[in-house]
Amino acid sequence: MSQQTNVQTDRPVQRSEMTKWQWTWKEIKRNKTAYFMVAPFLLLFIIFTVIPVLLSILLSFTDFNMLQMPHWKGFSNYSRLFLEDEIFLLACKNTLVFAAVTGPVSYLLSLLMAWFINELPPKIRAVVTLIFYAPSISGQVYLVWKTLFSSDSYGWVNATLINLGLQTDAILWFDNAKYVMTLCIVVALWTSLGTSFLAFIAGFQTIDRSMYEAASVDGIKNRWQELWYITLPTMRPQMMFGAVLAITNSFGFGAVVTALCGFPSVDYAAHTIMHHLDDYGGQRYEVGYSSSIAVVLFVIMFASNIIIKKALSKVGE
Amino acid sequence: MKRTLFQKVLCFVLSVTILLGMTAITASAASLKGNDTSSEFETMQKYLKASAYSTYYAKYHPNGTNPYFKSGLGEVNIPVTSFTGEASLVKDSDKCNASYNADSTAWSTFGDFATLGAQTVYLPTSGSATWNFSISEAQASLYNIKIEYYTCQTSESSVSSIERKLYLDGGFPFTEASNLKLTKNWEYVNSETVAAPADAETGVTYEQTDKGYIKRVVYETATGKEMTLYTIAQDINGNSMTPDAEQYPEWRTYYAEDASGYTQGYFEFYFEQGNHTLTLEAEREPMIVKSITLVPIDSAEFRIKSYAEVQSEYAAHGYTAPANGKITQIEAEFPDFVSDSSVAATNDNSSCETFPSRANAQLFNVIGENSYNTVGQWAAYKFTVSETGLYKLGMRYKQTALEGMYICRTIKLSGGAYGLADGTPTVPFAEAYDAQFNYNKEWQSSYVGDSKGNEFTFYFEEGVEYVLYLECSLGSLKELIARAAASLASINADYLKILQYTGSDPDTYREYDFKGTMPEVLVDLLDQAIALAELADEFEALCGGKGSHIATLDSVSLLLDRMGKNNGMDVAANLATLKSNLGTLGTWINDSQKGGMIVDTIRVIPASADAKALPKAKAGFFKSAWFEIKSFISSVFTDYDEMGLTVVPDANENPVQVWLASGRDQSKIWRSMIDATGGYTDLTGNAVTLKLVTGGTLLPSILSGKGPDVYLGLSAADVINYAIRDAVVGVSGGEKKLGSDNAIFTSTVYTYKDENGRVYTTETPEAGKTASFVSHSFTDTVNGNYAKAAMDTVTLLDVSYGIPMTMNFSMMFYRTDILTQLNKTAPETWDELLELVPVLQANNMAFGVHYENQIKIMLYQMGSNMWKYTDNSEYAGAKVALDTDLSYEAFSYVCRLYTDYSFPVTYDAANRFRTGEIPILVQDYISVYNQLVVFATEIEGLWNMCSVPGFKSTNKATYGEYDEWNDTDGYYYNYDSCAAITATVMLYGCSDVLSAWQFMQWQTSATVQANYGNRMVALIGPSAKYETANINAIKNLSWSAAERAALEDQIAHLSSVVNYPGSYIIDRYTKFAFLNAKNDAANPVDALRQYIDAINAEIKRKREEFDLKTLEPDEEPDYLKK
Repeated sequence: MSQQTNVQTDRPVQRSEMTKWQWTWKEIKRNKTAYFMVAPFLLLFIIFTVIPVLLSILLSFTDFNMLQMPHWKGFSNYSRLFLEDEIFLLACKNTLVFAAVTGPVSYLLSLLMAWFINELPPKIRAVVTLIFYAPSISGQVYLVWKTLFSSDSYGWVNATLINLGLQTDAILWFDNAKYVMTLCIVVALWTSLGTSFLAFIAGFQTIDRSMYEAASVDGIKNRWQELWYITLPTMRPQMMFGAVLAITNSFGFGAVVTALCGFPSVDYAAHTIMHHLDDYGGQRYEVGYSSSIAVVLFVIMFASNIIIKKALSKVGE
Repeated sequence: MKRTLFQKVLCFVLSVTILLGMTAITASAASLKGNDTSSEFETMQKYLKASAYSTYYAKYHPNGTNPYFKSGLGEVNIPVTSFTGEASLVKDSDKCNASYNADSTAWSTFGDFATLGAQTVYLPTSGSATWNFSISEAQASLYNIKIEYYTCQTSESSVSSIERKLYLDGGFPFTEASNLKLTKNWEYVNSETVAAPADAETGVTYEQTDKGYIKRVVYETATGKEMTLYTIAQDINGNSMTPDAEQYPEWRTYYAEDASGYTQGYFEFYFEQGNHTLTLEAEREPMIVKSITLVPIDSAEFRIKSYAEVQSEYAAHGYTAPANGKITQIEAEFPDFVSDSSVAATNDNSSCETFPSRANAQLFNVIGENSYNTVGQWAAYKFTVSETGLYKLGMRYKQTALEGMYICRTIKLSGGAYGLADGTPTVPFAEAYDAQFNYNKEWQSSYVGDSKGNEFTFYFEEGVEYVLYLECSLGSLKELIARAAASLASINADYLKILQYTGSDPDTYREYDFKGTMPEVLVDLLDQAIALAELADEFEALCGGKGSHIATLDSVSLLLDRMGKNNGMDVAANLATLKSNLGTLGTWINDSQKGGMIVDTIRVIPASADAKALPKAKAGFFKSAWFEIKSFISSVFTDYDEMGLTVVPDANENPVQVWLASGRDQSKIWRSMIDATGGYTDLTGNAVTLKLVTGGTLLPSILSGKGPDVYLGLSAADVINYAIRDAVVGVSGGEKKLGSDNAIFTSTVYTYKDENGRVYTTETPEAGKTASFVSHSFTDTVNGNYAKAAMDTVTLLDVSYGIPMTMNFSMMFYRTDILTQLNKTAPETWDELLELVPVLQANNMAFGVHYENQIKIMLYQMGSNMWKYTDNSEYAGAKVALDTDLSYEAFSYVCRLYTDYSFPVTYDAANRFRTGEIPILVQDYISVYNQLVVFATEIEGLWNMCSVPGFKSTNKATYGEYDEWNDTDGYYYNYDSCAAITATVMLYGCSDVLSAWQFMQWQTSATVQANYGNRMVALIGPSAKYETANINAIKNLSWSAAERAALEDQIAHLSSVVNYPGSYIIDRYTKFAFLNAKNDAANPVDALRQYIDAINAEIKRKREEFDLKTLEPDEEPDYLKK
């Protein structure tokens, strides 16, 4: 009790009188409860996310092979990646095509769907939401596409085509370079109405109705203006969340492609950076090289996040 | 479009010419392979000629009369010792002599070997023996065939039942005679007899002790009381462990009966006047025959009384329920004898009322469900009663196998007035064939009885030892299931006929005119629709409701009805649905035949008792709830790695750490084999920790230094991958080639036990002592045990990095019935196969083969290789040999199969094989075989497995190890299939190299591998066949004679793709090349050529990583430059 009084009577130390570290330490002590509460997550985050990312950056300069001690290789992994590895460039192209098509399209689709569904009466809305969200909660449901486009002549699409007389022989859908990419993009779009879609619906719910009334008094002319000037700016956090998800999903779509087309896809037609990373890390035991791929992927994703952030800040302006 | 008469005639003439031409070609091809398919072609023709037993029976009983039967005839004895064919007198048989001398106790019941051996005949596991006999005019009548046989245990024996084909006068009397099953007798080796304590009461008690779960039988002898203890041992956590089952050789009597269970009672054969032959052809297992007798069907053993008759006899004798009779309790988990070693005790913790049960351990407390459900399997229990009189049988059981239906057991008895003189059990009355057990999700307790509500009573005498047999049967369902099976066969035939006419994807808009072309098919579809609908109704009446199980019949019936009506207009549209329904119906029949239930307790209860004397079926609510809570909590703390562990290995003793990535059953079997008497620990004194891990755990564990000493089942590609990165020890020793050290196992190490049971090792053998384990050098260990192809895949630069454990390779599976109908034999070369293609395609059938395997097979059969410079260890694997002319030719050949001949690339092998759309499959043998055995039981006996077709060429193949030169037609043949290996390896950092090496030797030795394979089949059933890599172990696995011959034939013709650094890239690019050729109809050679540089570049890069010699694209190695 007495100590407390002492502190109160003392003249508070000014910011200018301390070094930056001293100041930080003081602030930490002042907010120690907050730090204490965030500690468990922070600890796990550092151990399982920050350290691996840093390690991966470190390993990308070595020839680590999972079994023996790594040797320092300098930038040779990177130079090989950009100058010699043709398949990496192909993978980059595929990834960008994939991200450019599925990312924005799935994002817009989610947004539009959420907007339309939001207009429905609550009970119907709940049912429709479930229908749209179902594909992404039921785990590996994308495998129905495997049945649909089975290479067997008894597969749904093949059998239908043969029945209609359009085709005489079974098409090896997921084993044919012509169809692989298109099919994968379609499947990606189908499964993409996931978490971001739910976030949008939640976002629409939070908007204060009185804002629309105020806006109509202020002279909003149609629903589009309503959407652009009120709805979207109000739910900017949800949109940011959705965008980040869309980006990460479209870059990390590897597992679905592998499940559908096998690994690697025929002629690397749907080979993304994720696959390339798996290929070297898992199959060729070249973890050093695969780390450098991971670093590149990390940089690309980081950059696109910044771009998205910039773009979203323009919404409603 | 209507064809003119001229076109029709022309087509006919052309097709006849083609057919004749092909027959000529097929006939001219010499039979070169080890497996002779023509004899089996004959067998199949005989089979197809024969009718079903029901037809045969009807022939000799026209309109229910019996004109062919003469009463009062004596038995006809066929002199067994005068035979022709592959058999020998027991006395002269090497096989019997060897085991007779080696283990005379096993033969104790055989009798006097010297005299009896000259009167009995040994029938080996393969070949057939024929007996001649004649029937006089007076003797012409209906007989059953009785065989007295001895279930001998010889070096050829395995876990299967004895199976024989029966021919009369050179043909099958009816189709069911093609598979006679003679059961063996198995006994669990878990009993010991000791002197009983003075205060012990006679009788049977069950007790759960620290040593395990014990059945205690105390009985009076002339000298005092004795006690036999039957123990189910337990591991350190109290989980029960399956006791070893041992075949118990004894004389048994077999009366010919239906192995499928469709026909109740015994077969009746008609023998007319004249000379006859009787032939027994071996399918599985050796046997010894003492007599073969034709028994008139009115003999005493066939006169089965009805239950009412038996009851009135009891009344006439004045039998009543015993006044002071005690209940005799039999715990079902302790059978005295079983028909198969898979009929075994197991654990069920679904009710705490089941005795014994413990929430935190799996105690064996019931007898099997999944492994004790096939017609003919039985478990037998000895019991005595305390007082003479009438008794009932009470049982506590749970039947959840057939929803809404009941299952049946046949009750057989022996002892006292029951059974035959030699101890063979019989049914006490006809109703005992149909003891009925209803479906219920809960445990039930009831008196054993039939569908009419009879609770069976039996007369038992005090002091007599009875044996109760509970045999799986179809009971009263057999007739219905037989009808369903007949319907399925008929619909299947209809389906194939339609298929041959329309193809598998008929055009729904086309008018096929089924009414004009195949009216009989439409009529049959409608007939079968009615038959199935009737069946469904009868099932409903029998079971008192429509379970989901019965609904299947209705839905198939509706479909057939729709297809048959309307002049067949809807046949085309519904053909695909019919196909899937055929599968469903097949599965339905399969399921209906498998009547599994778990039995906890059987009680022999005085007949006067009421339901209170039955065991309690369900536990009370609170008791159950508490048990569930305890189970849940203990499940959190259970260490599953300790499953089956009997002694905790002392960490100071430095146990061998073994990991395996497979199932829990496999892990438990290995655990018990390691710990068993005569197992690894017993022989070498080294403790073992066995851990079941998930695949992919090995790599991180090595990385973190926590890896095992020995790993079981690492794929050959990974063996080499790990080896070049110093993670696996080269066990063959020799010069150090790569980074890792090689363990040198060049000397023989002998392990001895001193008088205290302590174990020590020495390199010099001690005179006068037998070593408990001899650890050979690497060369001696693998010598003669493995195919060269198998060793090659785990060898790099002359150093071997593991011992092969499993070996899989492609074999050819074909439907004998379909080929016989098409009048074709199985193709022996690819040329013959391609000649068969038009015939099959004309019938809308296809071949099934996977292109990835086929590319490799073709490459080696044509005499090429995957790699260049294999003759030089420095440059071996530096370049692929895919760019040689031979390789291009092989690759093009495979591509043509799919482009020109339209082989399907993707297909559901088991289903299409079952329906007959793909009557020939070339695929990995173990998975296809195991799947067909359980999945497609309706085509059992209608398919065969043989070695893959070979390549016929005018040039001698350069790679193949087993090329054949045939003088008669001047061609070279190569039948190589491609082997895929998993191996047992020693990991780098292993602390006790010798112990680990001893473990590897023990684990891969022929006896241990065979033992493991047989245990798998014993525990899981016939679908758990094990693909051991040890050639010498295959002899003792439960393959039939024909299957084993086929396997050995293929093993003699094996090649393999050797793994070198970078070999993963080859599969990838050959796949790309193939798909390009297939999808875009690209020239196969061009398609492959464009990847050659990429493959070689990747290999070069990989070789540089490991400092191996590399080559530029157009560079030749130094040693060739000279």
